[in-house]
Amino acid sequence: MTLALVLAACAACTDNPRDGGTPPDGDIRQNTGVIATDPAASRGPAPEVPGATPGGTVTIFRETTLARLDPQRISAFMGLSISQLYARRLTTYADDGNGTLTLVGDLAETPGTDVRGDCRTWEFRIKENVRFETGAPVTARDVAYGIARSFDLTLSGGPTYLQEWLADTPQFDTVYDFAADRTALPPGVEVPDDRTLRLSFPKPHCDLPFAAALPATAPVPAAADTGLDYDKKPIATGPYLIEGRTGDTELRLVRNPQWDPATDAVRHAYPDRFTLSFGADPVTQTNRILAAQGADAAAVSFDGVPPSLISKVTGDGLLRSPTPRHSVLNINTRRVTDLAVRRALNAAIDREDLVKAVGGASVARPVTTLLAPSTIGWRDYDAYPGPASPAAGMPELVLAHPDDAEGQILGTVLANSLRRAGFRILTKAVPADDFLADIKRPDNPWDLYPDHWAPDWPSGAAVLPALYDGRGIKATGGNNGTSYLDARPLDAEFDRILAMPLDAQGAEWAALDERIMREYAPAVPLYVELTCTVRGPRLGGLFVDGVIGSPAFVNAFVRP
Amino acid sequence: MIRRLLRRCLLGLLTLAGVSVLAFLLLFAVPRDPAAAMCQKNCDTARLERIREEWGLADPVPVQYLTFARKLVTGEEGCPAPCLGRSYVTGEPVGAMLARALPVTASVVLPAAVLWVSSGVLLGTVAAARPRSAVDRLVGALSLAGLALPLYLVGAVLLLILVYGTATLPPPGWTAPSADPAQWASGLLLPWVTLGAMLAPGYTRLARAQVGDALSTDFVRTAEAKGLTTRAVVGRHALRASAGPLATLAALDVGAALGGTVITEITFGLNGLGRTVIEAVRTDDLPVVLGAVLLGAVFVIGANTVVDGLQAAIDPRLRR
Repeated sequence: MTLALVLAACAACTDNPRDGGTPPDGDIRQNTGVIATDPAASRGPAPEVPGATPGGTVTIFRETTLARLDPQRISAFMGLSISQLYARRLTTYADDGNGTLTLVGDLAETPGTDVRGDCRTWEFRIKENVRFETGAPVTARDVAYGIARSFDLTLSGGPTYLQEWLADTPQFDTVYDFAADRTALPPGVEVPDDRTLRLSFPKPHCDLPFAAALPATAPVPAAADTGLDYDKKPIATGPYLIEGRTGDTELRLVRNPQWDPATDAVRHAYPDRFTLSFGADPVTQTNRILAAQGADAAAVSFDGVPPSLISKVTGDGLLRSPTPRHSVLNINTRRVTDLAVRRALNAAIDREDLVKAVGGASVARPVTTLLAPSTIGWRDYDAYPGPASPAAGMPELVLAHPDDAEGQILGTVLANSLRRAGFRILTKAVPADDFLADIKRPDNPWDLYPDHWAPDWPSGAAVLPALYDGRGIKATGGNNGTSYLDARPLDAEFDRILAMPLDAQGAEWAALDERIMREYAPAVPLYVELTCTVRGPRLGGLFVDGVIGSPAFVNAFVRP
Repeated sequence: MIRRLLRRCLLGLLTLAGVSVLAFLLLFAVPRDPAAAMCQKNCDTARLERIREEWGLADPVPVQYLTFARKLVTGEEGCPAPCLGRSYVTGEPVGAMLARALPVTASVVLPAAVLWVSSGVLLGTVAAARPRSAVDRLVGALSLAGLALPLYLVGAVLLLILVYGTATLPPPGWTAPSADPAQWASGLLLPWVTLGAMLAPGYTRLARAQVGDALSTDFVRTAEAKGLTTRAVVGRHALRASAGPLATLAALDVGAALGGTVITEITFGLNGLGRTVIEAVRTDDLPVVLGAVLLGAVFVIGANTVVDGLQAAIDPRLRR
């Protein structure tokens, strides 16, 4: 009921997609995606945003400072979002803010060419007139150098897909030692000429165009690489460059005169500058934007609106959308081996209660699928709508949760839900610092525990094989799939879909999602997190990025 | 006098060494694994081990301390002495991170200290000069109320009224004073006034007691008998006699506040040393926590040394 009321209340104040209008249903976003193989789709300039005018300063509030600017070291949401303004990648997403994602070439003329049609060898042709802020042209070697430096463990923090795929092992730094010879290239990386980058993998990786959209593929001029210090001021290729910072209080981005909109199908450079302001907590951020004094009228909160202040946000100031961040109650299938028990657990959870407990409809939305609704091809279903009917004589189950405020709430609500359905549940509070590392060990002593996953691209390939392919379970720990599902019949299915063209994968992953749930029930899907944030009345063109679920700034403009 | 100060400095250095050992043992002996935070999504044991090796986390804690102490004294490539190591989160030298945060904290604390000391001592002295008068009672009541009210409440209420409600003051924020002094002052006005108002009552009560005691001493009565004005008696004699305890309190308060005014910085959204430490604790960034602890210790020890010097300057007996 609460959920319905809040949704109704927000129906008239939902988000502002890239065209500045209101989407037909701002709260249910399902991405549909295409790969734009026609080079014309990757060319600029990006379509004009209605009503947008150049000039002004956009202020972005965040409580904690931005940890990293070095594109090879970025994995956090704000870094991913802000780096889009200054660090171009091989590919990127044209996102209409309503769920249509088109993967286009960013530095590259197209989202890559699968040379032999087996997803093992990919070529990217670098666009003409793409330049660094210094005026130097971006070459394929600069991109290759960026990829090479991501092998250096000293420069940690970024994603490791490309490194692991090229080296064909998670221990990629043992295959290629960047520090030993910075002029060499990692295995599988070739630069036949200044504009061609070739990546060859021992195994097929049809997902490469998605992985290439992460900022790890941003070019770095070898001569400008100062190692850890490169983080202070990476050389820009996007419409903005880093002008400077004031302590840990403010980071300023100004227009990059070397950026050529004719080469960019996605970004605009309407505002004169972006100011990232660090320090204010979410309550203060919201209050400042609602007060809309001076520069705050064109500000946005990156941390979101606290539930207690939602009712104060009126008009079209609320920017809200489900994110790909997906929470589940994982069932340790090594311990809970009876499928009937796992199915009954699924039928027992009251998701509405849970959503209320974690903050209400402003922060979460219930789901019954293993894939988040933002996944391309997602299809809704509920394999176990309840009511639960646990058989008599079931073993007592241990539900572990982090011993912090959020973990306590989750643990209590989940345990109560299960007990009401007739399960015998013992809760175990685990020190929050140890919780993740502990559940990532396959010999952990618990039956149930909450976990979450935020995929790096909007494909089932970044979720189902990563979490439910039993061949990837590591006995030494560090597992992402903490339900430890090890089902041989699924192996061939993972391989089959992963080898399919990207365009055809969406529906297949959705079907596999349902099959895994119906045949194995390795987890209880709980909810997806929502981005719910506020922007000032003079700030236009914002939308929630369909890939990372954070505010996107590529179309931002300041109303006069 | 100089020998006394040199002795204090030497003692200060030894104290600092002791603090560094204690802080290191406390922080690094806790069962946390910073390597896990540095490892990424597909982390496994082998990569964890390599990160531990790379950052020296696999060494026994005493060896890690000796490495830390060596870098502190001799520095290393890219991190000149006193090198506090690098952040586990960003890889940036800790010294550079603290140097970025310190001006914010100093900008809040030093002008606020002028406010809290001057207003507190003034009110306390006025009250002491008119014992049991209406002014004395009013000052007493106000200072008691001031001591009872927490800063986070007063700060939040003032923010709601003066900034968000009436727009009387601009939102708190820090601008480099060299870039725009007016904006620097206007952005910090509310934190100064709030912090000043919160700390002044302690000085009011101390000044009231100290000056009150001094006014009942023989030398004050002698001064009054000589026909000096009340202002001269209070200002030149009673207040000077009370300056020792007041200076001690002020120096220690400023020293401690420079180490990180956590509540003030959180209330007003300022990223100074306090916020840096909180964030470092949250992310298990132990070198940053350790660096901030040592910097805080430097301020407290430095403030003690300054107090010694001040007391010697105020009280000639201590110079002998």
